[in-house]
Amino acid sequence: MQGIIRLAALAAATALAGCASFSPDGGMGVVADITTRTTAKEVASVRSDDDAERVRAATRRLLARPLSADAAVQVALFNNKGLQADYHQLALSDADRVGASLPPNPTLSLMRISGDGALEAERQVAGDILALATLPLRSGIARERFHQAQLRAALATLRLAADVRRAQVRAVAANELVVLLVEAQSAAEATARLATRLGETGALNRLDQAREQVFYAETTAELAGARRMASSARERLIRLMGLWGDDLGFRLPERLPALPRRPLTQPFVETDAVGHRIDLQIARLELSALATSLQLTEATRFVTLLDLAGIDRKTIEPDGRVIRERGFDVQFQIPIFDGGEVRVRQEAETYNIAFNRLTERAVTVRSEARDAYRSYRAAYDIAGHYGREVLPLRQIISEEMQLRYSSMQVDIFALLLETRQRLASRRAAIDAKRDYFLAEAELSTAVNGGGGTTGEDTARQTASALAPSND
Amino acid sequence: MLSRRTLLGSAALAGASAVSGRVQAAAIPDAPVMDKAVMQPPLHPSAGPDYQPVVTLNGWSLPFRMNGDWKEFHLVAEPVTREFAPGMSAHLWGYNGQSPGPTIEAVEGDKIRIFVTNKLPEYTTVHWHGVILPCGMDGVGGLTQPHIQPGKTFVYEFEMKHAGTFMYHPHADEMVQMAMGMMGMIVVHPRAPVPPVDRDFVFVMATYRIEPGSYLPKVTEMTDFNMWTWNSRVFPGIDTLPVRLGDKVRIRIGNLTMTNHPIHLHGHKFKVTGTDGGWIPEVAQFPETTTDVPVGTVRVLDFIADNPGDWALHCHKSHHTMNAMGHDMRNLIGVSRKELARAVGKLSPDGMVMGNTGMAMGTMEMPAPDNTLPMMTGNGQFGPIEMGGMFTVVKVREGLARDDYRDPGPYQFPAGSVAYEVASAPEPPQRTGSAATQTRTQR
Repeated sequence: MQGIIRLAALAAATALAGCASFSPDGGMGVVADITTRTTAKEVASVRSDDDAERVRAATRRLLARPLSADAAVQVALFNNKGLQADYHQLALSDADRVGASLPPNPTLSLMRISGDGALEAERQVAGDILALATLPLRSGIARERFHQAQLRAALATLRLAADVRRAQVRAVAANELVVLLVEAQSAAEATARLATRLGETGALNRLDQAREQVFYAETTAELAGARRMASSARERLIRLMGLWGDDLGFRLPERLPALPRRPLTQPFVETDAVGHRIDLQIARLELSALATSLQLTEATRFVTLLDLAGIDRKTIEPDGRVIRERGFDVQFQIPIFDGGEVRVRQEAETYNIAFNRLTERAVTVRSEARDAYRSYRAAYDIAGHYGREVLPLRQIISEEMQLRYSSMQVDIFALLLETRQRLASRRAAIDAKRDYFLAEAELSTAVNGGGGTTGEDTARQTASALAPSND
Repeated sequence: MLSRRTLLGSAALAGASAVSGRVQAAAIPDAPVMDKAVMQPPLHPSAGPDYQPVVTLNGWSLPFRMNGDWKEFHLVAEPVTREFAPGMSAHLWGYNGQSPGPTIEAVEGDKIRIFVTNKLPEYTTVHWHGVILPCGMDGVGGLTQPHIQPGKTFVYEFEMKHAGTFMYHPHADEMVQMAMGMMGMIVVHPRAPVPPVDRDFVFVMATYRIEPGSYLPKVTEMTDFNMWTWNSRVFPGIDTLPVRLGDKVRIRIGNLTMTNHPIHLHGHKFKVTGTDGGWIPEVAQFPETTTDVPVGTVRVLDFIADNPGDWALHCHKSHHTMNAMGHDMRNLIGVSRKELARAVGKLSPDGMVMGNTGMAMGTMEMPAPDNTLPMMTGNGQFGPIEMGGMFTVVKVREGLARDDYRDPGPYQFPAGSVAYEVASAPEPPQRTGSAATQTRTQR
């Protein structure tokens, strides 16, 4: 009992000294730090009209020019309301942190009983001494929870950035395909007309006319499909960027940017990923929070509730005599039946679960990083192969076919056939380039976090593993 | 004119050892080499009996030397590059620097010794097509002699018993070697001292399949040839035949293609006076302006050049007067150039749009793949000739010197002798029915 009182006194002293205050930036500093480091973009939690105005102006500037992937990401970071909600969630957990770091408020009770001329008045100041005693531990946990929330906000930011990047790449590639198919359709239409005309002059039978015209028909159908895809891709990008109304008129670049001259070399991709992945950092913090929480449980395993009350009782007897009594009242619950063992076991197993989940996650992250890098390299090589080999060869074929047509070595419909093959190659080249930029985004998420839904779910599982015993 | 070179060491030595039983190495004559594809002046004999030499179209005659009473020649079978016409060369096999090989000229009764050195990558032989000789000299590989292996030199010895026009070509891997251009002409002059004609031209016809943009003939091609050549030249690369007005002219034509060629001469009647079997008795000769030269034969045409002017001489199969063209082409007659231009422009946005020139060949120089000649080409004084392949011009002029074979330029037509446009043509009679409108060509 002496020990508890001593502990309570000590706790009260330290707690009052280290009383926490609200973060000036609502915890956005860490988010901005991580985001800037990995995406080189600005984040803004919109809290005031000034903020809103600033973000608005920046968005307008970005939307005025053809929207690059970087610009799209920036617009989304400013305008995506889901992300803003995440930022406010962070501010909320800042408040929780401050709340948890304050000592428990003392309970003041006044009792006044009178009857038969007698009056009994009792003033009692009761404080949850145990709460006070464990204040440093609990505020430590709250700090880590807050840090976790910060990382979650950063993760949400990275995820959004990656999603936007992917959506922008898909939208631009879809537009490129539409442009290509418009060109193809135009060529097909001209030759289909020519085929009809040759049918009229008697140079082309019905079978060959149909053969020449079917390309036009097919291309028209493909173009319609491609237009639909392009418009869907654009809408997805719009949703992610949180745009509506007048802002929808933005233009996308006509084609995907050129491949970088040489691919990223990442010999330490695994190490980088294990060091950088936000979801891993969150899981690590979970573990450390659990460890602290376990310490707390251990410290209080035999005394789960300790109320200390200072009692100052004044009794006025009916005869007017005043009796003044002082003392204290301590109440505690003794875990006779389980010895606190149940809670300790629960905590320990929860910790073990989280520990294994973290380990599993780290193994997965390493594998994902390797996989993402190999995919990235393969995508780079394939796209480069199209750019360096296939398309130049197609160009030569095209020129040579033109020469053969000019010198009456081949029929005009041989040009059409060649055009079809060239279109197929150009489509494949667009796809390859799109896949490269998607793989690049994938690599970035594999190293920094914010990956696809699979990764997200796993992170949530890890987080939820500790939820039952602490929240 | 002739660039002589000594035989390359190893080949010569190897060849020498092959024939050392009968001939000393030092006794093998030089093999002269020709490096030009233009018609060389006639080679007058420097020894032996005299004769009026022939002129080989875009070619030359092989010099010989006398060794006792033997006329010695040296043929070297070797890979060559032959210009078909300016702008196109073919990688062929030939003799002494050119394909076809040089014309071998001899006189009836001459004893001939021909050294043949093989510098091809495979064995060969030479068959003296039409020459009556001992069987062992006939040059049929496997049948009458061992093949001449690469690097070896063989010698053929026989007497030219008959005057006439003959050919030579391999009789070993014949399909490939002839498709690669291995051939030449043999002219055996009669012993009579008086020259029978004033001008005597000779050439051999060969066909090749050379894909546009390539250089090597397709030796497996049997029917779909695209290069119809006289002495491995195509118009406008074939030299003209300049003759003096009133000359007695002879044209000797050998056919080593896989199809017949109806050769047509404008402005003159001729008689076929000889074949590879010899001279045709005068009573059997009849006048014509076109004669068919069947596969594997020679025809000799004689005529008096009595009609001044520029006269076409060509094969009458119209696709033989074209250079390379595709055969799987749709007929675009009736389609406007604009429609065509639109289609082509859309199909080849990066390339040159030829559509606005439509199908008109004529004066347009169409861009073509490398080493490909326009399909129809050549210009005359009035405009495009639109010919290719087996086509040239016999130029009959007054006052040419005896051995002058230079192109005398375009014919100066006497005033009022050229077809002319009528100033006010009467309206053509109206035709009824739809046939007229249906067949009208829209251009």
